[in-house]
Amino acid sequence: MSYFILQILPYVTGAVFTIGILYRLGRWARARIVHNITLSPFPKTNTEVATVFGTEVIFFRSLFKSDFALWIGAWFMHIALFSIIGGHVMGIYFLGKQFVYIGMSEGLSEFMSNLLGTTFGIIMFIALLYLLYRRFAIQKVREVTVTSDYLHLILLISIVAVGNIMRLIPDWGIHYEPVKEYVTYLVTLQPVPAEAEVLHTPLFAVHLLLVQILLMVFPFSKLMHVLGMFAERWIINRKYTEPAPGLPNIDIPAARAAGLGLPSEGGVE
Amino acid sequence: MPTYKDMVQPVRATDADMKKIHIDPVPDDQKCEKAIEYLDLMRKKFRSFVLAMESCVKCGACAENCHTYLGTKDPRNIPANRAELVRKIYKRYFTLEGRWLGKLVGAEDISLDVLEEWYSYFYQCSECRRCAMACPFGIDTCEVTMAVRQILHWLGIVPKLHAGVGAAMEKVGNHTGLPKPGIVDTLEFLSEEIMDEFGVEVNFPVDKPDSDILYVPSSADYLLNPYTLMGAGMYFTYIGANWTIPSTVSEAGNFGLLFDQMFTQRHNVTRLLDAAQNLGIKKIVWGECGHGWRAAKMYIPSLADRPVPWPITHIHDEVAYHVRTNQLKLDPNKVGHPTTLHDPCNYSRACDLQENLRTVIKACVADFREMYPNKERTFCCGGGSAILFDDPEMYQRRIQLSAKKAELVRATGVGANGDGYLCAPCSICKAQLYPMVEEHELGVEVKGLIDLVGKALVWK
Amino acid sequence: MASVNIAGREVELDEDGFMVNPDDWTEDCAKYFASGEGINELNDDHWKVIHYLRDYYKQFQIAPMIRKLCKETGCSLKYIYELFPSGPAKGSCKLAGLPKPTGCV
Repeated sequence: MSYFILQILPYVTGAVFTIGILYRLGRWARARIVHNITLSPFPKTNTEVATVFGTEVIFFRSLFKSDFALWIGAWFMHIALFSIIGGHVMGIYFLGKQFVYIGMSEGLSEFMSNLLGTTFGIIMFIALLYLLYRRFAIQKVREVTVTSDYLHLILLISIVAVGNIMRLIPDWGIHYEPVKEYVTYLVTLQPVPAEAEVLHTPLFAVHLLLVQILLMVFPFSKLMHVLGMFAERWIINRKYTEPAPGLPNIDIPAARAAGLGLPSEGGVE
Repeated sequence: MPTYKDMVQPVRATDADMKKIHIDPVPDDQKCEKAIEYLDLMRKKFRSFVLAMESCVKCGACAENCHTYLGTKDPRNIPANRAELVRKIYKRYFTLEGRWLGKLVGAEDISLDVLEEWYSYFYQCSECRRCAMACPFGIDTCEVTMAVRQILHWLGIVPKLHAGVGAAMEKVGNHTGLPKPGIVDTLEFLSEEIMDEFGVEVNFPVDKPDSDILYVPSSADYLLNPYTLMGAGMYFTYIGANWTIPSTVSEAGNFGLLFDQMFTQRHNVTRLLDAAQNLGIKKIVWGECGHGWRAAKMYIPSLADRPVPWPITHIHDEVAYHVRTNQLKLDPNKVGHPTTLHDPCNYSRACDLQENLRTVIKACVADFREMYPNKERTFCCGGGSAILFDDPEMYQRRIQLSAKKAELVRATGVGANGDGYLCAPCSICKAQLYPMVEEHELGVEVKGLIDLVGKALVWK
Repeated sequence: MASVNIAGREVELDEDGFMVNPDDWTEDCAKYFASGEGINELNDDHWKVIHYLRDYYKQFQIAPMIRKLCKETGCSLKYIYELFPSGPAKGSCKLAGLPKPTGCV
């Protein structure tokens, strides 16, 4: 089972994820931006457009202004999520020594890597529970929810829960080195040796299986909102240049001097 | 009566009404099949629609931002859920997950009931786009409403009000069905009224050749909003403009935007361009109409089937420019009423007119009080996209849809002594608010903005 | 679309209860619509408004501006609402056999 999850499935996942996303993006690209539906106030320069994109993508500006309670959960969840994804890549590639490059000692770097990973893992877990709680507790949110919305959250929560257990109970976890070796085998299309540690760490297999399910679901679900956000903002936050004001052949002082509108006999106060 | 399985519905156009707007209604036994065919067309054409179908996470942020949901508390009026009425069909027919997993991902087969549901709920949405502004991804649910109304139109399902307007637009070039003699008679009457009330001589040139400026008023102004026409006439006279009103397209609105963006909307654009060409126009100036200004400013460039050499601006862009350059003498004390401004959704979320409106109103009104939330965060009057239905059920719904606005108007305090002005510079807002300020007992009178300019102008 | 029998004549009405063909109008039609609008008896002022609307419509194929209606009949808008509870556009136009006004009204 571990062998299937670790040795065969990743290639299937990679294919489904990549082809699925390309298929979805292709569908979007085929349809056109027919009319100008930019939301006002219009950005007047490309710098302003970039500012809108930046603040929306990094700070969730619209959500902050419109639904602060949701923003708390959503923003912390996503920040933790992207930190964790970044942490996985960096931690595994540099074996936890990535902070050496910003002047820390090796020991401190590994300590920081662990501390940040654990912290963001817990933040994300709490934020996800909060988002799930909203779906049950707030009437309007319950009313927009269908089964798959709960399932997405439960899948994410399971992934994070397993990850956190591996962090908090070191005996059930795994170090960076064996994972890096495993990833190297995968990327270089080498078979993973039977004695490899990853094959004998059950929670690692569970964690990886859940992640792969998520990645395969990704292109066929609302998770595409990550890319949809850019595509949608590309439509509704565009630069717009106003036509110049000023009417043709108008000379107001002359019109006033000629007394236009005033009856010829005068006498208007 | 206009309800279907507990859903309110506007009175429907008959087959004969539909024929006048060039649609042969699809028979019931083919409706479902055709609906899928048309839905397929829309998804292949409009990226905004596909994205709304495919990237909503249903976070619920739109709910509290929709006056329709706030007023009715009907869960299907939450923008995300309203879109879900189409999304469930879209998923079932156009996505793998919907085809394979069905109910689990919320996919559903099409049925006549679904079409009836669309007709009810997409004619409660006022296309105000407050949800688009609130959505963290920028999903524009207005695009969903527009796509579904287009599909319903092709199926032959359109409110009688909208279909009647479509037919009138084609017959005489305006929504109210005003023929040229009626236009001229009304404008002559208004010239007399201006002389009586303001002692100023204002003529309204109709179809005058070799005019510099084409002024396009809302046709509702001829029936309901005398001061809006009077204000515009006084302004153009004051600045000494060589202007005219076209009788062939005396309409700032364009209901095509609201139910048929193909033939009906384009037809009105064609009429406008013909009129501008025939009258030797140099610039087109738009009257007070919210959806119409959006249709003109944002849609004419993509709808016109020939080059458009005439710049098109809104009358308040021009008045604001003259105010900023100190060319108008305005006495704000002439308007002696506490006044607040209702930002029409289309001005502030689609056309960027909100600052100019303020420049103008502050120059014309001594006691101006902001209403909050305002500008791009404004709430709709409840009549947006012309859901101005007056049969008893829909009228009750209109009262609910305007409840949020009423609450905000009350909070400004302008109506405390019963002599406030609620400035709503848009024909649909006016038509909605005239009765609604009475229903909610707000103590205000509804006015246009150019109305106030006319009142505040100092002539000598 | 429905048709009703008013004083022995078949008259066609649309979904909103307005006359399909304004030329079919007779004073009996006004009386018929009045009962549906909750007006007990048509007095001289009612008739003045109704006849003004019909004359204007005959000449211009459209209802007059409400301000003009008020001015020419000498009735204030408030008084018109008293005469025709559903207002000048929907109430008095219906009684006068005019088509229902369309657009943003």
